[in-house]
Amino acid sequence: MRTFRNLCCATGLGLLLCFSHAGVCAVHGASLLPPGFRPLPLGIHALVGAKVVPSPGSEIANGTVLIRDGLIEAVGQDVPVPADARVWTCRGLTIYAGFIDPLVVPAATNAPAATSAAEPDRRLELTSPPLQFFGAPGVQTDPGAAGPGAAVSRIRPEERRVRHYTPQPKELEPLRDLGFTAGVMAPASGILRGTSALVLLTEENPNELVLKPDVFQHVSFETAPAADRLYPSSLMGIIAAVRQTFLDARHYAADWEDFRAGSRPRSRPPFDPSLEALQPVLAKKTPVLFEPGSALMADRAARLGRELEIEFCLVSSGQEWRRPDLARASRAAFIVPLDFPELPKMPEPEDWDPVDLDALRAWDWAAENPALLRRQGLDIALTTYGLKDRKKFRAHLRRALDRGLSETDALAALTVIPARLCGASDYLGTIEPGKLANLTVVEGGGYFEPDAPLHSVWIEGRIHLPAAAPKSGKSGAGEADAATSHPAEPTKAAAKEKPARDEALRAAHRSRVAQSPLEGRGPVAEPRSVLVKEAVVWTCGPAGVLSNADLLIAEGKVKAVGRGLSVRSDYPGPPLVIEGAGFHVTPGLIDAHSHTAILGAVNESTLPSTAMVRIADVVNSETDHLYQQLAGGVTTVNLYHGSANPIGGQSCVIKLRDGAPPHELIFDAAPPGIKFALGENVKQANWGDKAVTRFPQTRMGVQAFIANRFTAARQYLAEWDDYRAGRRRPGAGVPRRDLELEALGEVLQGKRWIHCHAYRQDEILMMLRLMEQFGVTVGTFEHVLEGYKVADEIARHGAGASTFADWWAYKFEVYDAIPYNGALMHQRGVLVSFNSDSSEMARRLYGEAAKAVKFGGLAETEALKLVTLNPARQLRLDSRIGSLEPGKDADFVVWSGAPLDSTSLCLQTWIEGRKYFDRALAAERAGRLAREREALIAKARQIQKLSGTRGSRDEADDPAAFFKTCLEHQHDGLDRDCLDDVTLR
Amino acid sequence: MKLLTLPAPLCLLSLAAALAANASGQPLLLTGATVHPVTAPPLSPGQVLIQAGKIAAVGTNLDAPGATILDLSGQHLYPGLIALNTVLGLTEISAVRATEDTTEVGDYTPEVQSWIAVNPDSELIPVARANGIACFEPAPRGGIVAGQSALLATDGWGIEQMTLRQPLALHLYWPAMDLNLANRPPTKTRPKSLEEQARERQTKLRDLMAFFEEARAYAQAKAAAAKGKAAPPPLVPAWEAMLPYVEGRLPVVVHADTTRQIRAVLAWASTNHFRLMLAGGREAARVADLIAAAKIPVIYTHTFTQPFRDTDAYDTPFATPGILRRAGVKIAFSIGSDSFNAPLIKNLPYAAAQAVAFGLPREEALKAITLYPAQMGGIADRLGSIEAGKDASLFAATGDILDIRSRVTRMWIAGAEVSLENRHTRLYQKYQARPKPKSP
Repeated sequence: MRTFRNLCCATGLGLLLCFSHAGVCAVHGASLLPPGFRPLPLGIHALVGAKVVPSPGSEIANGTVLIRDGLIEAVGQDVPVPADARVWTCRGLTIYAGFIDPLVVPAATNAPAATSAAEPDRRLELTSPPLQFFGAPGVQTDPGAAGPGAAVSRIRPEERRVRHYTPQPKELEPLRDLGFTAGVMAPASGILRGTSALVLLTEENPNELVLKPDVFQHVSFETAPAADRLYPSSLMGIIAAVRQTFLDARHYAADWEDFRAGSRPRSRPPFDPSLEALQPVLAKKTPVLFEPGSALMADRAARLGRELEIEFCLVSSGQEWRRPDLARASRAAFIVPLDFPELPKMPEPEDWDPVDLDALRAWDWAAENPALLRRQGLDIALTTYGLKDRKKFRAHLRRALDRGLSETDALAALTVIPARLCGASDYLGTIEPGKLANLTVVEGGGYFEPDAPLHSVWIEGRIHLPAAAPKSGKSGAGEADAATSHPAEPTKAAAKEKPARDEALRAAHRSRVAQSPLEGRGPVAEPRSVLVKEAVVWTCGPAGVLSNADLLIAEGKVKAVGRGLSVRSDYPGPPLVIEGAGFHVTPGLIDAHSHTAILGAVNESTLPSTAMVRIADVVNSETDHLYQQLAGGVTTVNLYHGSANPIGGQSCVIKLRDGAPPHELIFDAAPPGIKFALGENVKQANWGDKAVTRFPQTRMGVQAFIANRFTAARQYLAEWDDYRAGRRRPGAGVPRRDLELEALGEVLQGKRWIHCHAYRQDEILMMLRLMEQFGVTVGTFEHVLEGYKVADEIARHGAGASTFADWWAYKFEVYDAIPYNGALMHQRGVLVSFNSDSSEMARRLYGEAAKAVKFGGLAETEALKLVTLNPARQLRLDSRIGSLEPGKDADFVVWSGAPLDSTSLCLQTWIEGRKYFDRALAAERAGRLAREREALIAKARQIQKLSGTRGSRDEADDPAAFFKTCLEHQHDGLDRDCLDDVTLR
Repeated sequence: MKLLTLPAPLCLLSLAAALAANASGQPLLLTGATVHPVTAPPLSPGQVLIQAGKIAAVGTNLDAPGATILDLSGQHLYPGLIALNTVLGLTEISAVRATEDTTEVGDYTPEVQSWIAVNPDSELIPVARANGIACFEPAPRGGIVAGQSALLATDGWGIEQMTLRQPLALHLYWPAMDLNLANRPPTKTRPKSLEEQARERQTKLRDLMAFFEEARAYAQAKAAAAKGKAAPPPLVPAWEAMLPYVEGRLPVVVHADTTRQIRAVLAWASTNHFRLMLAGGREAARVADLIAAAKIPVIYTHTFTQPFRDTDAYDTPFATPGILRRAGVKIAFSIGSDSFNAPLIKNLPYAAAQAVAFGLPREEALKAITLYPAQMGGIADRLGSIEAGKDASLFAATGDILDIRSRVTRMWIAGAEVSLENRHTRLYQKYQARPKPKSP
């Protein structure tokens, strides 16, 4: 329930207008406490003789700060001290504007959004419980949490942290001890988590602490706790759910508007507090704070933010060093935790052996990441969020400064930037007359000397001393003595060598050894034109195989193929010549079925239809698989959603332009596709004995389900057609955009191709006939291992078939799979391709093609087309790729011998006239990485040696952070297939 | 007309003739083909004389009175391929639990015997055979000491006829030595503390060593009893099963992948006189010299796996066999003993071919799927090459068996020609003959 007052506050204005009256300081009338309570002090203070830093970059030596009734009254060098002010002599102290922590999560022991929790648990992710969502049957009347709201239980934008905010000394003291005076109290879990509140960090009446009740709407890409098994379980599912929710919120506003203004009778719009709560976000009054959890997801979040036309900022994952270009392109402010991974104490020296380069890089880069973000021209605000031990905040900040962050930027990141991000610049962030008297006072060398004690913080004009007073015992006594500075001095008894050792340690941390992961990626040659001379050229086009032939490339395209080509004068420059004698050249190979470069789960396995989920949202440009597959001659890969549901997600074709960011991998000429699946996987036959509640459980049900969704999609299209044509029944309201039905509508309109995972002949025929009823032509059948039994029917329908060369007998529905399948279907007129469905096998797709020669006797030229021209045709990309013909993309491979000879190997791989793989450089590349790793290990050893074994602040209290593999590399070296993340293949 | 497109064994006439020749005990002379004896350079063309199940002679101009002559001009004759470290026969369909007999419960189950659970009528076996696999080792999977394997022919009425040698080896799965660091693939369960993991690792290794010491003590007690110096110990089947291995009579196959595991195995090997072999060997190239010095052969199963470390070269898994061989390590290929690969044992020669592309000499690749596995199995007196006196287990192919495009046309196991027909060819024939359906 929402009171009028809350609604008023939700605008963010209600409180602001009155906060100076509601402040805690005035001691008259109603503020006079009854006897028995400790009386409130007067609120007039003069802090004199300090170094005052009113704003980052400015400084007043021997300055005075005047405080009256909670507000700054004056600041400057020659400010007269009023007679009624209590005077605090502050010689030797530095006064900053009070720090603001823009992200305080209750019990902030949880790390930033869970890259490690980005996958469902294989053993528990068995089935989806009954859902009232996207066509699944349900028994629950309450779709998510109790009461009205979004159907997805973790979409709770209506939650307001302020409603339950109670100040807890245990939570606030550590923050004040670090100099923080205000903080944004944020909700802790969910996807759309609700709003956070900006509060003063004191233990007063909450009504008087809240500066702003709704600061950010928090959005995290946190996947569901495994036990929940609720949509969305995958990263791509989360993005789809967020996208749909924002669309729904816009629709909600429009629908109610129409209802209020429109004619009667009219259907009544539903009440949805979740969608209502998003209206301030859509109106750009409340920004979204995304917690992306990884470098690529930061890019994705920024793109999503722009797509949804909302204001947003991002929580840094600490990983932006992986792709500074994407951080820069986000043009967003980052809220930056300082939870650097720390070296673990290995039980035995040999335990360092399996530590990956990437973990060492993440460790070495961490402290530089804040400076790196600044170098991209981005605003940053610092937060204690993510630090298991908040006491490390200042030491880590020092390390960030030592790695290039300027003190001015660091101070801004603690004051003016968070104030601005919170929309609180009017009263926080600087020491200026009229602003809240929030101050952070530090002794000795100032805040950026980690050992300089914090003297006090002032919050709305009242002093708070550190919980654990400095051991000197002076500052606790009170004002007059505070002047005496105590430079950072551990007890004199401390070992003499400690400062020297600390200095050496600091020096060791200061220099970065790790290289950028972008180093050595991207094209190794980008000549303006290329001439391959006297090679055996397998054109895969009408010209067939040409021996002793030349291939001319310019402007990224094939210009000519043939014998004795000469370079035309209008082509740029002298070409790079490849002496091809003895070598074979083929078009770049195309893997028509892959899951190799997908961030997070391959399956949104919860719902039977996930047509709204898009692989394009989760393309992983950073996986090592790209390079490994380039090294096998693959240039184009079709990325699919898995096969956990009859209607899967939208597919995405990429080119393996390793080094480019995700959106530049996407092959934009590819017509849209969508993954469907039939048979055992979708009826959960091999998901374990508990997976028996989701519809469908039989092949009968699969047909019924798909028919249902196409009927719904047809009605959906009709509804929109009527609306656009003005034929809509009066009072019917505004139609709602439904991303699931929209995708299926595109299938009905012939704009999106179905790629349907299928095995048994009966289900193939079912799908053909069902789609024919809806006037749809199936693009390709995938796997289609019994395709040979119904090849004529497939051919007549006009569908393609993308199959395995010889996989069989791994589950019951593939017991009749035969390696002759491809050849037999080809001979019956079906357009056939071979695919890998495997990050491992994708590296040797050429060998798979050779199996069609062995089994079924295909001509070698036809066999090679199974992995070149035919998949290009199936993907409707044959005008661009698949053969070496003039005008097509210059995607080609140079082989040491005949491409179907299993003892041949790929020497060079080119995409659009750029060389992305060269075997001659591969060993050096690996050597460079190995040497970098050795250097990092040496650095780690040195630091561990310097920091000793006990009590050092460099020792990890949570070794898990060091070992956490980033989202981008979580599946490197692991094969992924259709039922990945669900269960057996 | 159509028959010509079928695999050659379906040419029934010649098959019948060959079977008849064998049934009557009549010698069979294979002539015209390029013979790859493996132990000697190819003979092109060469001749092989088969008599009474054995290779009677190999040459270029053999005297074979009364022999049926089979002209194999243009073809290549190879010794039957040997697939070590498989679960062929122990699984049919990996997703159907009822068909799985690969993995027992418990860490120490040496008395478990794989060969007694092989399904001779598994549809998977003829598919392997059709590409030249003449024999295979069903290897038990399980905890640490998983059990004993055997070597079986891919032909025979039942397990007793198929069995060539049992037991062949004891399979020991070396405990993981890496701490659970990266948590990949990610799970929700939090790894235990590093110290706790290290302690558990130490305990596991100590238990493993102790197990073999206890087995040795049992062997010693038995030996003492045999000499009448002590009362016989109570019969313990598990200790009984361990006898040939702790006495060094039969090999122990140790599955180990990381350098650390392999180093530990080598250190252990130096303390005993067991006959050890390594299986897996993912990182064996890093310690190739040590393995060579210990004279321990490697059954390499990782040709078709992805690089494991992020500093590995893209071709590390492909290049490892060549590196091992150059260091002097004897290798055999296996395409992996997981159930998914059991139906794909036929691809064994292509693992070898991949290694050839990345530096293993072609002759060595061929030996690593014939002679070397025979030697490792202690059965090189009967198998692994085309030499007089060995079993007549060999096959003819249209070309180099390492080349995927080559087709196997004829095959003999112990002198009897075997059918190359299988589930695949049957279904192929059936549906090739399907009339075009009338338009609906």
